[in-house]
Amino acid sequence: MFTILGVGPLTWITFLPIVSMIILLLIPSGRDEKSKMVSHILFRWLTVLTTFLQLLLALAIYFNFDFGLTGINQQSTMQFVERVRWIEIQNLPLLGNLKIDYFVGIDGLSAPMVLLTAIVCFAASFASFGIEKGVKGYFAMYLLLDTGMMGVFVALDFFLFYVFWEVMLLPMYFLIGIWGGPRKEYAAIKFFLYTLLGSVFMLLVMIALYFAVGTFNMFDMMDPSKYDPSSILAGADTFWRYVAFAALFIGFAIKVPSVPFHTWLPDAHVEAPTPISVILAGVLLKMGTYGMLRISWPMFPDAVRYFQDYIAFVGMVSIVYGALCALGQHKVGKRDFKKLIAYSSVSHMGYVVLGMAAMNPEGMIGAIFQMFNHGIITSMLFMIVGVIYDRAHTRGLDDFGGLANKMPVYTGIMAIAFFGAIGLPGLSSFISEFLVFVGAFKTYPVLTIISGSGIILGAGYMLWTLQKVFFGKLPERWAGPWDPTGKKYKHDDLMPVEYAALVPLAIIIIYLGIYPIPITDLMNTSINHLIDFVKTTGSFAAHL
Amino acid sequence: MLIDVPQEYYLILSAMMFVIGSVGVLTRRNAIIIFMSIEIMLNSVNLTFVSFAAFMGDTAGQIFVFFVMAVAAAEAAVGLAIVLALFRNKKTIYVDEVSLMKW
Amino acid sequence: MIDEIFLSQLKQSVDLFLPETILVATFIIALIFDLIYKNSRYLIAVISIIGLVFSGIFLVNQSTSSAAIFSGMLSFDPFGNFFKILILLTTIIIVLMSVFSKELYEGGRKTGEYYILIVGMTFGMFLLAVANNLIIVYLAIETMSISSYILAGYTKEIKRASEASLKYVIFGAVSSGMMIYGISLIYGLTGSLTFDAINSAMISSDISGLTLLIAGLMIIAGIGYKISAVPFHFWTPDVYEGAPITITAYLSVASKAAGFAVLIRFLKVSFFDSTNYANDEIWTLIGTIDWQIVIAILSVLTMTLGNLVALWQTNMKRLLAYSSIAHAGYILMGVVVMTDIGVTSVLIYFFVYMIMNLGAFLVVMIIANKTGNEDIQKYNGIGHKAPFVSACMVIFLISLTGLPPTAGFIGKWAVFTAVLKSEYIWLAVVGVLNSVVSLYYYVKIFRNMYIRNFEDDSEIYEFSPGTYILLIILAVPTLIFGIYFTPLLDWAESSVKIFLGV
Repeated sequence: MFTILGVGPLTWITFLPIVSMIILLLIPSGRDEKSKMVSHILFRWLTVLTTFLQLLLALAIYFNFDFGLTGINQQSTMQFVERVRWIEIQNLPLLGNLKIDYFVGIDGLSAPMVLLTAIVCFAASFASFGIEKGVKGYFAMYLLLDTGMMGVFVALDFFLFYVFWEVMLLPMYFLIGIWGGPRKEYAAIKFFLYTLLGSVFMLLVMIALYFAVGTFNMFDMMDPSKYDPSSILAGADTFWRYVAFAALFIGFAIKVPSVPFHTWLPDAHVEAPTPISVILAGVLLKMGTYGMLRISWPMFPDAVRYFQDYIAFVGMVSIVYGALCALGQHKVGKRDFKKLIAYSSVSHMGYVVLGMAAMNPEGMIGAIFQMFNHGIITSMLFMIVGVIYDRAHTRGLDDFGGLANKMPVYTGIMAIAFFGAIGLPGLSSFISEFLVFVGAFKTYPVLTIISGSGIILGAGYMLWTLQKVFFGKLPERWAGPWDPTGKKYKHDDLMPVEYAALVPLAIIIIYLGIYPIPITDLMNTSINHLIDFVKTTGSFAAHL
Repeated sequence: MLIDVPQEYYLILSAMMFVIGSVGVLTRRNAIIIFMSIEIMLNSVNLTFVSFAAFMGDTAGQIFVFFVMAVAAAEAAVGLAIVLALFRNKKTIYVDEVSLMKW
Repeated sequence: MIDEIFLSQLKQSVDLFLPETILVATFIIALIFDLIYKNSRYLIAVISIIGLVFSGIFLVNQSTSSAAIFSGMLSFDPFGNFFKILILLTTIIIVLMSVFSKELYEGGRKTGEYYILIVGMTFGMFLLAVANNLIIVYLAIETMSISSYILAGYTKEIKRASEASLKYVIFGAVSSGMMIYGISLIYGLTGSLTFDAINSAMISSDISGLTLLIAGLMIIAGIGYKISAVPFHFWTPDVYEGAPITITAYLSVASKAAGFAVLIRFLKVSFFDSTNYANDEIWTLIGTIDWQIVIAILSVLTMTLGNLVALWQTNMKRLLAYSSIAHAGYILMGVVVMTDIGVTSVLIYFFVYMIMNLGAFLVVMIIANKTGNEDIQKYNGIGHKAPFVSACMVIFLISLTGLPPTAGFIGKWAVFTAVLKSEYIWLAVVGVLNSVVSLYYYVKIFRNMYIRNFEDDSEIYEFSPGTYILLIILAVPTLIFGIYFTPLLDWAESSVKIFLGV
């Protein structure tokens, strides 16, 4: 492990945004027009710089990562571990010795997520340049959100994990609420209430687990031998273990979101400003599935095996229902580009859940790879919508047509994202979806075949949208240049900032489509171990 | 002498007074009468204390009664002052007409 | 010589009673100064602060002593000391807040008595926190109540205030009447008024049955009125809305603290088997009446009703009134557990609640000073007009909701830990669902502040540096205790021991 100024890279990558946030809050935003403009430029580039440093750190972590170490439930094989005693109190009545650690580290499960978060936050910081109102507050909240997300992926102490998990909610509320669209109030509070509802149950399970093992250390919670036999969560296949698992699962499923907990997502996506949609789809949704793999699966292997079929079913329903809803966007009156992508997210996250339920290496690796790919592709899709929304101030699918002639480069980049979302061979999501299906088919042939219709439906709505928006005849109202004054948009096609945000993502999609090894190898060891662990512990416990 | 009357009688009397006082508080609308009803409640408590103290030969109950009487006087003084302030503001002492705030 | 023993006990008692004595002295000195310097604006406030700080110094010094004083009338122990320190801190903050209150000084109102009564009320609450005898409980409750009746109506020209005061005095008198009726029944049943003597009488003669239930319920009703537990809460919203903001804040924290102190002490010392304290952590109930269920029902009612009614409030004081009812419900969850861990969680929650609730009321006061009322509509766009104040308000509200990394989360976490430890799982579920509901109305406040009418070009409010300092004093601990809460837990843990009498 390398250190910078004596502090490990994971602490840096997590708290760098907070440091920037404090610096940013100390910069006055100025009263008159000119100083305001200067300060806004400062805020923007400070954020870009921060996220860029974060990305560099993530790459440094990636290149120093030892692919052979397993992690998951083995404390000794976690990497870049930093552990400091945070809270320690002796002899509390009945609680005994309370110990909470600041404990971070990554393994093959969290490393792709850290990388993904860094990439998406960096790209989204360019997309944030369009924010005009309350710029200082926006970037402060953005950076706070960044810390919360990164923290969730590196935390190895359940208490710490929970703190980061909740820290994210408030900035997200403000980002949707203040800088969102017309129904922002509704969307923001809906997001807040749904996620909080999920996380309070997580809190109860966390406390119950604490009583069972006596620490908040995740590894102790994964070890059946550490459980206090008198605790309600001790043993295996007990009623309370199932209840605890179900409570955790609902908490995470709300975040994923799986049908039937998905209704906050379309609202939040439609109302959120572009960069926030990007982060929401790119990173936040992954927390749900990450939480399942990091917490639910290893801590409740017996319950996972018990609920496995139901989870696969939830995944299947999400795939099909999400795809149908997205397709339905072409039938009913309001055809909103963002809503379409939001529902496609529900569908694509369904693949992840299905792959995770399959419990074999193909399905699981496919699922995590799909998390990564979906993060990149959906981020791109939302940015693409943001690009035309900034220019045309509408997201209605019916308002467009024939954009290919007006914006050829844009159309080219867009096509990569669209085909990525469909899962065209040669692009990254093909590999992940293929793996998920191969894995899931082994365990659940029928469910997988039904889920396959999601692919067809997905191709349907994506191609239809492609055709509607980019080909055909350009409507009269868009015939002239976007910006007649030529001040903001010098020409019709993409601006340099937009290139900066979109092109790297497109490269990643193509590169990983041809050569997925950098990401799959990253997780391979850990995931195989996770499956073994869940299977052996789960079935061992079942025979107790 | 006191002992000649069974203790239950005192207790029943005081319970009845307490109920009368409570019903008065609940049904009357005139603030002054409400305060009077409260006094009846407090006096019923005094009666209970005195009878228990007498029958048990313990002084604590009687001491309590002194305190209750003193506190009741203080409470009545403050209560009437507040009624006065209210009357200056609203020209009424009927509590159902005092309804700026609900729920 | 029996007299010498008595004298030495008396000397010890007087020594331990020093903080209270200082309060009484402050009360008298302030009264005299108020007579001499009739027109001074802040003199009495300064005198009160000095007296309170001195009292606090002695209070901290005796934080480890544990003794029954004045022949068992009061029991000084770390538990009572914790609440006294809490009440004292609240009082100091309230006095400082009052100095900045526009509403209080409006029209050149004389405020000498205001501060004097606050000191008197503090004295009553101090007694309540250490009372070990039902006479003292009654006297302390009345000392505190009578002062607070006057304080609630202190701005007497305002119709709302006099109405609040009237409602307060009527409800207060009735509930204290009920309480002493209950006390008289307990006295009849056990022949005693001291908590520990009640306990030994109950152990030796196995008293139970309907009379005890009624008596106990009546006493709980009297105390429940002070902590505004549903269904004894009817006065709370009206009084909180009508009273000056400073007094609302004071009632919502300090008088609640005193009420909880006496509730826990009374339940623990009187109704739990004191002969069975070999294992201090397990409390065994005497008799057949399950007080835990009674308190659990109170707790569920209190938090649910408080949260649900708060949803449609439009006046900030009233909204915070219902929110404080709901918080009383959360704290009662800790009482339900009735073990040392439950008491610890109550102490932790209370300290946290003090900071965040006073903070929220402080912001309400600051904004009311500018806009003239507490209507939630007036909060539109405050986020830009007063950025620092609004940011602090967000911290307080998030803490009241119980989200990390704020102190409120630690409080909630402690309470849920206690409840889950004793396997009251249904209660914990009700509790967390309630905290989700509460999010909605807390968010409503900062939604108005930030989302509605958020214009970059509106006027900016200016505030005095004093208010900023007060805000920082409250906001910083709200964050610090959310991140590093070892001292808080340590203090609560060492304060959990309740003196059980001789």
